[in-house]
Amino acid sequence: MLSATAPTAASFAREHLRTPLTLVLLLAIPVFFVLIFASVLGEFADALGGTLAQRAATAISAGWAAAFLSGTLAFFQLSSSRGADRRLAMAGLGPTRVAVARIAAALALGVTVSAVAFLTLWLRSGIEHPLHAAVAIFAFAAIYIGIGALVGAVISAPLEGSLLIVLVFSVDAFSGPQMTNSGGILGFTPTRTAADLLIAAGGGQGSPGGDWLGVAAIALGALTIALAAFWLAARTRS
Amino acid sequence: MTPRTGIASQSIPVADHESAGGRRVLGVSGIEKRFHRGIWPRRRTIEVLKGASFEVRSGELVGLVGENGSGKSTLMQIVVGLLSSDSGAVERPDRLGYCPQLPMLWDKLTVDEHFELFARAYDLDDDASELAVGGLLGELQFERYRSYRVEELSGGTRQKLNLALALMHEPELLLLDEPYTGFDWETYMRFWEMSERRRDAGMGILIVSHLLAERERLDTMLELRGGRICTC
Repeated sequence: MLSATAPTAASFAREHLRTPLTLVLLLAIPVFFVLIFASVLGEFADALGGTLAQRAATAISAGWAAAFLSGTLAFFQLSSSRGADRRLAMAGLGPTRVAVARIAAALALGVTVSAVAFLTLWLRSGIEHPLHAAVAIFAFAAIYIGIGALVGAVISAPLEGSLLIVLVFSVDAFSGPQMTNSGGILGFTPTRTAADLLIAAGGGQGSPGGDWLGVAAIALGALTIALAAFWLAARTRS
Repeated sequence: MTPRTGIASQSIPVADHESAGGRRVLGVSGIEKRFHRGIWPRRRTIEVLKGASFEVRSGELVGLVGENGSGKSTLMQIVVGLLSSDSGAVERPDRLGYCPQLPMLWDKLTVDEHFELFARAYDLDDDASELAVGGLLGELQFERYRSYRVEELSGGTRQKLNLALALMHEPELLLLDEPYTGFDWETYMRFWEMSERRRDAGMGILIVSHLLAERERLDTMLELRGGRICTC
């Protein structure tokens, strides 16, 4: 299975990295988020009575950059290649191997954008707990791979799908920890635990083991949803 | 899709090829398909196929015609396995080739990368793949585009790649949905010669089109009307 899936995944990842605009955004979005979005987030939290400090806002913005890029890339992986993937599955590769190749490509892209976001954060403000921060940023990416793929499974139109991802992202970002004095607009959002971990790592504090297990469970759940979405897109339609 | 009612038969002359009449490579019986579109109160049910049945034999070149919206591509997708039917049965071989109406390709990948992906799907080793690809690039005359990305190809060259991907594993059954869209006259004639050569070698071929001008080249002509097949 691996002999056919690994090179297929490499082709899928290569396809996305060949878009010049994607490469530009891969660098520009983390820089934009860490340098500009972080201060907007801090001011927004301040206006809502939240306690998000500037250093914490900078740290969490690296996570949002990884999340936004991974989510949109996962969405476009699914929505733009649905027909070709289904044809490849029908030709003999099967929907399972196509889906595994797609999730592998999405993870490779997620690791790449997480690395760029991590590096930007490191250069901007330094990180007290680099390993913790790296894992937390990747958790953001993994969670949004699930969200992007899920949106792609339901909506195939690029405009509507992108808008929905932006909506989810906006609600998620502005409902994060320390954003309001009441604990956020919503009680729970997918990235809440990952955001707690990233804020702690950025401020040089550790986090309880239960939080790490919790974020691992959420990230794995999101990746399972993504795998199911890729499989559904590659199988026979009803 | 526009639903139609009633069955009408129409006599269309076809060629009398000796090669027709091998073993059955495709059996389609009683296929029904309805689509549900829109949301209440504009929910509509469109009945596209109402019991379509036909077969294709090895060494047979079959044409399937029908008006726009008659359900030809829907039937083809059900036959291939891309779409499930509401009822009915399809018997097809494992080794089949499918050339869809709209090329299902990856815009950013090159012609060679497409061949590599499909060679893995068809389980062809490197030698068999290179032999098949070299032959098809020569037959369809697009060798010089091997390193081009799909987004850089003209519509006709994309269609050549679309067709070549369906042929590279020499399938028992070849299913072609409007395969010559975008071909120039020379390529169009070459397409028919390729199809006849493969038919003579024992391949079963089904060509779906809204317009089949080369009827004398076909062994059997079918027409999709009112969701059913009539043998003409």
